[in-house]
Amino acid sequence: MTKIVVNATHKGGEGKTTNSIILAEYIALVLGLKTLIIDMDPQANFSGRYIKMEYDPSYKGGKIPALHPDYEPLVDKDWDGRSSIANIFYGEEVVPYPTSITNLDLLPAHSIKLQEAEAVTKNEVVEKVHLQLKRFLELEDVQNTYDMVIIDTPPSKGPLTIAAIKAASHIVIPAQMEQFSIEGIYGMLQLWKQETYCRTPNNPITLVGILPNQVRDIKLHKQFLSGLRQGKGLGDYVMPHVIKKRAIYTEILVEDANPKSIFELPANNVARNEYETACRYIMEKVNHGEEKGVRN
Amino acid sequence: MAKKKVFAISNALSNGIEETIQAAHDYSGELRVEVVPLKRIEVDPENPRDLALTFEDANHGISPTDPQYARKEQEIESLQSIANSIKDQGIINPIVVYKFGEKYRLVAGERRTLASIIAGKTDIQAKILDSKPNDLKIRLLQWIENVERSDLSLWERLNNLEKIVSAYFEKNNLSKKSISVTELSNLIGCTKPHAANYKAVLDADPGLKQYISTNQIRSLEKAALIATIQTSDLKEHALNECLAGANLKRLKAIAAQKPNKIAQIKKSVESRGRQTTSVNLGITKNVGVAQLVLDSILKNNALSPIAIHFKQVDWNDYRAINNTFKQLVKKLEELHT
Ligand SMILES: Nc1ncnc2c1ncn2[C@@H]1O[C@H](COP(=O)(O)OP(=O)(O)OP(=O)(O)O)[C@@H](O)[C@H]1O
Ligand SMILES: [Mg+2]
Repeated sequence: MTKIVVNATHKGGEGKTTNSIILAEYIALVLGLKTLIIDMDPQANFSGRYIKMEYDPSYKGGKIPALHPDYEPLVDKDWDGRSSIANIFYGEEVVPYPTSITNLDLLPAHSIKLQEAEAVTKNEVVEKVHLQLKRFLELEDVQNTYDMVIIDTPPSKGPLTIAAIKAASHIVIPAQMEQFSIEGIYGMLQLWKQETYCRTPNNPITLVGILPNQVRDIKLHKQFLSGLRQGKGLGDYVMPHVIKKRAIYTEILVEDANPKSIFELPANNVARNEYETACRYIMEKVNHGEEKGVRN
Repeated sequence: MAKKKVFAISNALSNGIEETIQAAHDYSGELRVEVVPLKRIEVDPENPRDLALTFEDANHGISPTDPQYARKEQEIESLQSIANSIKDQGIINPIVVYKFGEKYRLVAGERRTLASIIAGKTDIQAKILDSKPNDLKIRLLQWIENVERSDLSLWERLNNLEKIVSAYFEKNNLSKKSISVTELSNLIGCTKPHAANYKAVLDADPGLKQYISTNQIRSLEKAALIATIQTSDLKEHALNECLAGANLKRLKAIAAQKPNKIAQIKKSVESRGRQTTSVNLGITKNVGVAQLVLDSILKNNALSPIAIHFKQVDWNDYRAINNTFKQLVKKLEELHT
């Protein structure tokens, strides 16, 4: 079974997208596993890292994916040449985009289509949205093509995030060590709990844990972290590694950054080391601790 | 310098988190839905059925010699629209079964199962329990399924909980009428503080419950706080503030007040002003109290002649209730001149 890791919290700016990017690149570049990344966030930041996103002519501020490199206008009459994960909510085919990173394919966002899916309220429709991503990822084609799927979600607890959780085998909750983050953590714990009720023993949903992000050496952060670690029941779900606040995690995202991925930095680079340790921890959970061959 | 508290997860939140994680562990997989072949599903012979139609009939058609032919035909007819919708989009609400050897026995969803057979399906989505559930288990499953639904009011949750508690007593042959906090927290898989809140509200007086039933009080924490205030003055005060929209913090402040302080303030207010020459029979927002007063008075045999005037009171209408009491006082004065 393809393992599916979702980065989620309904609090904004916690590091969902950053963690999706770095984890996906770790899996593709370092582990050499065939990886599909999915952007469920109408903001489309995740997609923008890997392919060109264009402004949607029909919707101000909205983004749509650029034309697919395999699109041939003369031949492909039944397709407009763009493909996004939102297509699954409309019964349309999806075509993953290749990225400049080996082993890494992307299903990008489409702002307005995703927002429409997020906004559904009618009960039957909501249920369809909830299950659609899961159904898609269970397709034999997808299962046979990819070893891992990484999903980035919007800062919400709405249908798109729920759909991602229903599809997931693992959840990571990135969180800054600040007061308001706790709301996001609590919200995600509730979604996780509700989902565990529905899972079968051979298809569990595992909470990898809370990934402390943008941590600084200040009293506020230290106390918050130790508060989390001491929280009854919660302590087990706070990851043992933390990600510090470092300019490089933002700098490496700019278009002409060199190198382009932190996994192209020297192995002894502090930032690379720090994040690689966290990624390794996540992957240990994903593999139940069993050794997985490194194909690099 | 006072030690500055930099970080604190509020108690309510940290309880909530603990409770969430606990429940995830306790009930993992309880609501799982799997696809089960229809031919492995059977009815539970111990459960009463309301349909005459058997699975056999649905599969192979009703035998023309069947003495119940007409009735069964009608039942098939009545299942046709569900069958059509199942053909189109499958079942929306999974059935509930439990494992019985190689078979699955039905707990809920007989009509959906029959309709699926009629629709020509070979399998069906089902929640699978490991063994035959007792009433308590069924209620608990409903609880964990529903408790997170934001559209469920406090009143609906309390009603569910009341049923769970009585099923629990029945199952364990307990004759007592009140459940302990520990029992309750074990039963529904939540923390003790949370269970204590539920217990306080379960045990609350009818007056308070009335406000919950009409959704004037929607917060479990607030209701529990008011329910546990001992002094009636303070309780009334907190209740009124709550109805006026006070937050939990404010209500806590009221609950923490010393009871005699309020009494003192009241006294000093009363002792001022002009001399009092009439009796104020008091004011309450609590319809239950008004009802109790009226009922108690009318139980007095000596007053039976006036009882006839107070048979039909619209207890949902404050104005009508006020008029009733005005009339009551008038009648009583007539009797006591
Ligand atoms: N460890 C870090 N050190 C420094 N900057 C960081 C770190 N993690 C994230 N950031 C920056 O913080 C901002 C928010 O991060 P990110 O976009 O990953 O959060 P998000 O949870 O995806 O936000 P949203 O909810 O808007 O989708 C970004 O500008 C990102 O570059
Ligand atoms: Mg993001």
